[in-house]
Amino acid sequence: MSSDSHAGWLEVCPVAELPPGERRLVQLKSVEIALFNVNGTIYAVKNRCPHRSGPLIRGFIDDTGGIKCPMHGWRFDLRDGSSPRPAHATVYQVKAENGLLYLQL
Amino acid sequence: MMQIELNKIDQIDHLMQGEYTFFLRERPGWSLTVGPQDLELVAHAMRVLLHARTTPDFLDEYLSLVDCQAQDGGWSPFSADRDSTVWVSAFCGLMVIRGNRFLANEVLGQSVQKSIDYFLDTQKSDGRWVDPSWADLDTTSHPVSFFNVVMALGEPYRRPEVLRSWERGARFIVDNQGADGGWYDEEFHPSGVEITAHLIQDALIADLAMDEQITGIRESCTKGAKKLCEWQATDGSWDEENVDHTMDCTRSLMVVTRLLDDKQGEETILRGMRWILDNKNASGWGDFPDMETNLERTCDGIDTLLKYKAYRSIDSQDVVRLWGYGP
Repeated sequence: MSSDSHAGWLEVCPVAELPPGERRLVQLKSVEIALFNVNGTIYAVKNRCPHRSGPLIRGFIDDTGGIKCPMHGWRFDLRDGSSPRPAHATVYQVKAENGLLYLQL
Repeated sequence: MMQIELNKIDQIDHLMQGEYTFFLRERPGWSLTVGPQDLELVAHAMRVLLHARTTPDFLDEYLSLVDCQAQDGGWSPFSADRDSTVWVSAFCGLMVIRGNRFLANEVLGQSVQKSIDYFLDTQKSDGRWVDPSWADLDTTSHPVSFFNVVMALGEPYRRPEVLRSWERGARFIVDNQGADGGWYDEEFHPSGVEITAHLIQDALIADLAMDEQITGIRESCTKGAKKLCEWQATDGSWDEENVDHTMDCTRSLMVVTRLLDDKQGEETILRGMRWILDNKNASGWGDFPDMETNLERTCDGIDTLLKYKAYRSIDSQDVVRLWGYGP
């Protein structure tokens, strides 16, 4: 892959470091991002819950691609950040290429 | 850092002094006198002032809180807004009525009456209060808690209506207790830990300090406290090392077991305190071990230390007073 095709993408880590069922907290350009591998699909979400800043890296993942904040239980869809609560989580696009994980801020 | 011994109150005092100094140094982060704030954080800070017995030095903070009370008597989550919500309104109203015990200020007294109007106006027909940001049971516990203190302090304003509203709110909570003693909310609190800790300490146990007016509350609190003890992890924490929830459970058991005269909770409380102290940052606490300090959790930490000191006092009612349930 040429470097042009990575324009706007930031390298995060080798894909192998985030196997299914695992989670990882990274910091990119001063933004804390929680990464989750849910049954082989990798999701990235801003770590701080938009409700009261609870750390989503400690959240509870469900089978339908959702995460619940560990502090007050607000649920967010990891695919688009939507929530039944009056808030929206910031999610990031992720791609894996050549064994590496990339993320777009 | 030297390990604090839980049976040496002078060491707890020393730690508390250091944390209180840190809390005051961070005043711009919680003070309404410097600009708009998150009112839940402000209420947490005012609780520290109250329990550290420094309220009389901070009348300006209380008057600033009243300044941002909405026309309907409630408060908004952010001080610059005016759209009242139940959860934060109960926190703010509680701080105003408890603070005014020491301040005896007419403006604050009028604010309390407006708060009473607000909660009487917003209760649903089945006894609950609703706030879209929180579980209904959890939300309901806070106006009930406010009314507990309204009654404990003898506030006469609309008294018969307050009594009826309080009973309906408490009954709604008791009637929704799980058979195992916990309270659950599938959407917000499936584990039940935090909500159970809130309901028994903030809403229900006060009735035991006020002549047990509602049948079934003693049994409800006994079962709830037992469930909290069962939920504690072997390391002393609750809810996957959640600092907030561990502080809540530990404090809840202090006042509930004291009023139930139940000695069996003591070991659980000591394990909780040990974990809380072991997971403190150099200054303050974060939401989980090794996370950075935040002001709200630090206020909870100081409050936990103050309540633990009261819990260990010779006067068994000292800790009850820190919930505003006694004179």
